[in-house]
Amino acid sequence: MLARTSLAASFRPTAGVLDFLAPSTLQSRRLYNSTATNQSAASTTTSAQAPGSKPRYALNAKQREFLDSALRVNQAGELAATLIYTAQTPQVVRSHPHLRPLMKHMYDQEVGHFNTFNHLIAKHRVRPTAMYPVWYAAATFLGWSTGVMGREAAMACTEAVETEIGSHYNDQVREILSWKAEAESRGEELDPELEEMLANFRRIRDEELEHLDHAVENDAKEAKPYDPLVNFIRYGCKAAIKISEKV
Amino acid sequence: MTRPTSLLALTRRSLTPRSSPSPRILRTGTLLHQHQPQSQIHTTTAAITSKTTTKPRSTPQTPRSHARTYHSEHHPSQPHEYTNSQTTILSAALHHVPTHGFTRNALTLGARDAGFLDVSVQLLPRGEFDLILFWLASRRGLLRSKVESDGLLAGSGSVLSVDEKIQVLLMERLRLNVEVREQWQDALAVMSLGENIPMALSELHALADDIMNLAGDQSVDASWYSKRMAVAAVYAASDFVMTRDTSAGLRDTEEFVARRWADARALGDKLTGVRECLGFMGSTAVGLGRSWGLKI
Repeated sequence: MLARTSLAASFRPTAGVLDFLAPSTLQSRRLYNSTATNQSAASTTTSAQAPGSKPRYALNAKQREFLDSALRVNQAGELAATLIYTAQTPQVVRSHPHLRPLMKHMYDQEVGHFNTFNHLIAKHRVRPTAMYPVWYAAATFLGWSTGVMGREAAMACTEAVETEIGSHYNDQVREILSWKAEAESRGEELDPELEEMLANFRRIRDEELEHLDHAVENDAKEAKPYDPLVNFIRYGCKAAIKISEKV
Repeated sequence: MTRPTSLLALTRRSLTPRSSPSPRILRTGTLLHQHQPQSQIHTTTAAITSKTTTKPRSTPQTPRSHARTYHSEHHPSQPHEYTNSQTTILSAALHHVPTHGFTRNALTLGARDAGFLDVSVQLLPRGEFDLILFWLASRRGLLRSKVESDGLLAGSGSVLSVDEKIQVLLMERLRLNVEVREQWQDALAVMSLGENIPMALSELHALADDIMNLAGDQSVDASWYSKRMAVAAVYAASDFVMTRDTSAGLRDTEEFVARRWADARALGDKLTGVRECLGFMGSTAVGLGRSWGLKI
């Protein structure tokens, strides 16, 4: 009896509930790195880094999924933005040559954003949206049709799209900031990748809102059926964002 | 302590598994230990088991890496969600696959080798399909470690193109199946059962995704999907050819892979051609309209 209790005391259980079936010789060998990652809760990992720096904030499964869909949506959005400007520019510039530098400036910025997200998608192995060809066709058609309707409609389109996109980026920035606050409350820090992403999102959001200002300055409010047009485009954007988050 | 010793030992074994290990179990436990360094299978499973979760779970979740979530060096994703005992049984059972096939028999023998009771096979509710999935996932991990640690793609002095890398990786993956070639058709049959198809397909997707990633493919548009489908289709077809290939060094399979891959490329090029042609016609029509003074 004495021998049994001492053996039972030396038994070191691991966390798996059903692991009682395993003989203790196996259990105590600690084959597996059981403390490193626990995905169900955001846990701390002290990865090998420069001494003295704070521990890294580890993302949980939900946060990963959020970043996954955020990057997917952003890439799809910037794809659409570049296509819209590409399709609008010829008609707008033809009747209003003085807008050429502005259209080029906005287009160049969108291409920069698109490249940023293409890079991030490839780097983090995020699946691009399956609706890619659909968004391609839809964005080209939207840009072309508003361009045909004239400068005001084109600017109203820009206004509607950038309003939605701007608030969407804002939500993402807010989410990442909330992670940052949580990390700081635990004495951790976000890893540099996330900090960089946060800075990128903020910069891109500001640039998109700047496009919004340009559009309003250029008589976006004068577009003829203003409310239906803007509302149609805004709801379209919202739906596209929801779809791209999933597929 | 009045009971006969033999009866006591029996009850200990069957009823109180938390008590001291019986001598038999101790022996097999150390046996497993000796197995480890010399067997290839064990080192390969270590590739995917190195980060095991401790979350208690009764049913094993399949390797989850096909759920392509945000992947980063700072946030390594979980390779799979087997519990420790499930992994132990499955890795031990892999030794018996070449002789006993992907059967419950192999699982039971594996459980015994690892020092578990026979009944602990019930930890794996899907039975032999769990063993097959574990085989697939561990081979996938081994393929990755061959590229990342052993420099599979860096060996030959010249730099390989993405296409060549994909073919090398496909062949390497097929070679990993050679040791179970006799059993592989049975495994394919199990995978094609109705309830197993979704998980078999997601494992196939995970393999295709890994191959594209290891080959350094950077596509971020719709070709992301078509390329992965092409790799998966070529792999699935070649896998079947491999089981009946008797040529030295899988020469026939290698040629088959090369032909299928060339076919897939040709099909992709045709589709691209059609799309480009349509786009060209569209922009020509718009340009023609503009030259006539239409405001389009």
